[in-house]
Amino acid sequence: MTRNFSIWPVVLILLLISAPIVIMYSYLALGTVTTTEPGDLLPSKLALDNWRFLFDTSTAAGNIWIATLNTFVFAASIMVIVLTVSATGGYAMSRLNLPFRRFVLSGIMVMHAFPSVTLIIGVFLVLQFTGLYDTMIGVILVKASLMLPFGIWIMKGFYDAVPWEIEMAGVQDGASRFTVWRRLILPQVRAGLVALGLFAFLDGWGEYVLPRILAPTNDFRVLSIVLELVGNPDRTNYDFDLFKTVGVFYTLPVLVIFVFFQHRLMDIFGGGTKG
Amino acid sequence: MQITLKNFTKSFDGNVVIDRMNLEIRDGEMLALLGPSGCGKSTTLLAISGIHRVNGGQILFGDRDVSNLPSQKRNVGVVFQNYALYPHMNAYENIAFPLQVRGQSKTEIEKAVGQIAALTHIEPYMSRRPGQLSGGQQQRVALARALVRRPDVLLLDEPLANLDAKLRLEMRSEIRRIQQETGITAILVTHDQVEAMSMSDRIAIMDQGEIMQISTPDDMYRNPVNRFIAGFMGNPPIVMVDGRVEGTAFETTSGFRLPLPGRLGGLKHGRPISIGIRPEHFGSTGAHTVAGTISFVEPQGRESHFDVRVGEGVVLRSIQPSRRDVAVGQPVEWPIDIESTLVFDEQGKTL
Amino acid sequence: MRSRTSGLGLLLISPAMLLLAIFFFTPALLTGVFSFTNMSSSTGISGGAYVVTPNLLKALSARGMQPATIEALEEASYSVDADGLAAARAADVDPAFLDEIEARYAGRAYATDSDFLAALKDLPSRPRRIRDLKLAMEPFTKSVLNVRFATEELARTAIAERVAGISDDEMATLLSESYTGWVWTTENFGKLFAGHETWRIIANTIFYVATTLTLFNVTLGLFLAVTTFYLPKKLGAIFTVIWLLPRITPVVLYAIMWKWFTWDDGFVAVLAGELGLPSFNYMKGSVTSAWTIVIMVNGFIGASFGMILFSGALRSIPIQQLWASEVDGATRWQQVRYIILPQLRWPILFVTSYQTLSLLTSYQEIWLTTNGGPGSTTTVWALESFRTALFNYSGSLQYGLGAAMALLLVAVGLMLSIIYLRLFRFGELVTQPKIEF
Repeated sequence: MTRNFSIWPVVLILLLISAPIVIMYSYLALGTVTTTEPGDLLPSKLALDNWRFLFDTSTAAGNIWIATLNTFVFAASIMVIVLTVSATGGYAMSRLNLPFRRFVLSGIMVMHAFPSVTLIIGVFLVLQFTGLYDTMIGVILVKASLMLPFGIWIMKGFYDAVPWEIEMAGVQDGASRFTVWRRLILPQVRAGLVALGLFAFLDGWGEYVLPRILAPTNDFRVLSIVLELVGNPDRTNYDFDLFKTVGVFYTLPVLVIFVFFQHRLMDIFGGGTKG
Repeated sequence: MQITLKNFTKSFDGNVVIDRMNLEIRDGEMLALLGPSGCGKSTTLLAISGIHRVNGGQILFGDRDVSNLPSQKRNVGVVFQNYALYPHMNAYENIAFPLQVRGQSKTEIEKAVGQIAALTHIEPYMSRRPGQLSGGQQQRVALARALVRRPDVLLLDEPLANLDAKLRLEMRSEIRRIQQETGITAILVTHDQVEAMSMSDRIAIMDQGEIMQISTPDDMYRNPVNRFIAGFMGNPPIVMVDGRVEGTAFETTSGFRLPLPGRLGGLKHGRPISIGIRPEHFGSTGAHTVAGTISFVEPQGRESHFDVRVGEGVVLRSIQPSRRDVAVGQPVEWPIDIESTLVFDEQGKTL
Repeated sequence: MRSRTSGLGLLLISPAMLLLAIFFFTPALLTGVFSFTNMSSSTGISGGAYVVTPNLLKALSARGMQPATIEALEEASYSVDADGLAAARAADVDPAFLDEIEARYAGRAYATDSDFLAALKDLPSRPRRIRDLKLAMEPFTKSVLNVRFATEELARTAIAERVAGISDDEMATLLSESYTGWVWTTENFGKLFAGHETWRIIANTIFYVATTLTLFNVTLGLFLAVTTFYLPKKLGAIFTVIWLLPRITPVVLYAIMWKWFTWDDGFVAVLAGELGLPSFNYMKGSVTSAWTIVIMVNGFIGASFGMILFSGALRSIPIQQLWASEVDGATRWQQVRYIILPQLRWPILFVTSYQTLSLLTSYQEIWLTTNGGPGSTTTVWALESFRTALFNYSGSLQYGLGAAMALLLVAVGLMLSIIYLRLFRFGELVTQPKIEF
């Protein structure tokens, strides 16, 4: 297109609006390798020892590797549950004859639009009654379940886009519906599975409220909890440089995944209705 | 294998699409189901293949009633309009898939796939994915996959619709050759009368869920039972002129007159009828001549189409070997082969 | 003919249905059910016992319960039985004295202090000092005070034994007041509408949702989408990435970064100081600054979401339309105003409706930043419900009241999501399966 406008005013406005983000994130990055005296704007000296929490378990961050492993297990479990249940459920919703199919589908759509955070009190009670309160399994199941309407909906969309003829050809070729799903249809929705899996993993990786509230005393500490402990300025021994460093450590996997899978994730971010 | 549809009825959400249809496909023949889109031909095909359930009547493969059997138990091979090749498998894996799910051994599969690949001329492309194959090659792979497990019947759903003009000609004869070499009973669903005429032994022409006529291509062209079929068969299409019986002749309201064919004696005076004149029967031979002005010329290379205005609101079409001696606006007087014209009554039935 | 139910379908859908039933449907139901209880961390969740405490009696007496009844309940009685003897032995009462008590009075009961005292004074090996005697009496005490009765029946029997001829009314009052578990009540809703905080919180919520939505989610989102669309590719991509960060950063990190940014010695405070402006804790120091920060914290995420959605919609506008408008001599602004914005009508409506719902119910970011402060000036409904039921420093969690607050959100959420589904015609996405076997 022709450039019939001057871009500099626009860039200037954009820079101004983006300033808080740019400042926050650059200081976040800067804080990991420098120290800043309280009350100063600019860092005073280079300091790599902010990273000492990686091998020193006596910092406020505790043993970071255990927390990292916990977070990975947490996020991966959520991903696996969301993927398997959405992959099967979405297929059934998209392609198979079920009683009350319309009703169930609109139910799932309502749940998809419905803000699940409002359910946390009810979820708390359910966990109390089932004895899953203060267990990581409980939190994982809750987090995965709250993501399910979204997952099923997204997967149903991907299944809907697979031509019916592939499915028809499969049954003509003598394959059972299960074989058709497993060997012919699943490979066609791989893009959807990858995107949903990444999304679920990132969502699990960043989760804070559910483990904090539903498993408050559990030993299975995830990074978000650790980070909140380190970063709470109301605490006596708080250290913002340590917080920034742990924060960067915590966010790096997210950024890496995002850089590599940006396009796949954008589809699903756009398709998701929740911000 | 002979396929029989007895009182086959199909409805969607209470709308009857096909009502008590009867059809018999003879062992080893290629039958074309021809009709405009929405006439129910694809529904019929999907019912035979076991994708749709019948709402009434029976479908028989030989003597076996398969009406309530799912596709997996029917042994039908289908080639879909978009081929429906599995995109994540190469040509070999696509063809081998039906045998694999049947649990055949690797050597058996290799042998069967090799044979069918030879028949369909696709040996060089066996390791390619569908995305790397041309339309014609995909078509051959789809055929091979449908045929590899020796189905009782081969169903072809608009197999040439997705090909360009040149490939279409090639695949037309290829499909026919393969069908004849294997001797398989086949049903071809198409909306293209040229395809139906050139590929099949018999044509069943459908409209609004009903079979109107079943016949050999030649016979259907020459003796259509009604105006709809006459209009459907032939390209460029037949020209219809509406008018009334005037003694032994036909006359339009604007006064254009033609004698009626000799086989139609004693039609009631004043009865409304239509007369159909195919382009090849105007302009070459015949006892009767009509005069008119050329209103349009469409050169086609080997031959030319001419539109001739022969009266108020009456334009006849003629197809003749290319000629340069006539041009638009020129008056001509050309013969009509009256005995070959078709005459229809008010309801469109051929007289 | 109706298509038959697919067994495979039931099998494939059942895990989803099971999880959704347990963690979606049941919680929604429980929110409704328990909003009609007074359940809290002091009543416990799984039921309670019947305990008459001295404090309760004091309260009941103040409310006009018969003094005779109160006295009878307060009064201790004594009975010489195996339990009492065993307890006395454990309390190191002289064994000889106990043997005598057992021999003379086994199985007897005494209604008052003085009766039992008189009886004991008859025994030869009684302790000399009255204090020791009282100590020896104690293990034989029978009282309903501070005793946990597991069922209503046990409590009723014990009270009836103590207070002969207690009226049905008083018995009912005693039983219901002495119950420590949760009970059914509609008080929660009364409390909600009586509390003056309620209306303030509702006003806060409306202000918060409306401001964030219009300024950030829609306006800024649109601005970002349109400008990054027109900027040279690389420059646009940089801003897109910058504005994706709030959306993909884990919420704790994001929220605490804002804290760092606006806290006492935070960036903004220091910068303001250097520029000679008032330097204070911008997040909690004043109501205006607190609201500004809260709205920005949530708004940046919202703008991120809006940008993604609008950018997608922008890219789906056929580029030929833009070329055509340029050929027609439209300026960039005219192009945006007359060609782009009209075609973004549905995405804008979509963002507005869905983000209304999501802002209405979000509390994480506010909780982690201002936590509703200063005072309760930035407290919104969802945050208050969450804190009432699950998280506050006083330690008394009122599940029932919190559930009642959440129930309102659940109801609003359910209504809005059903309306949106109709509005955006999601129903058309439901088609019949084509394979009928």
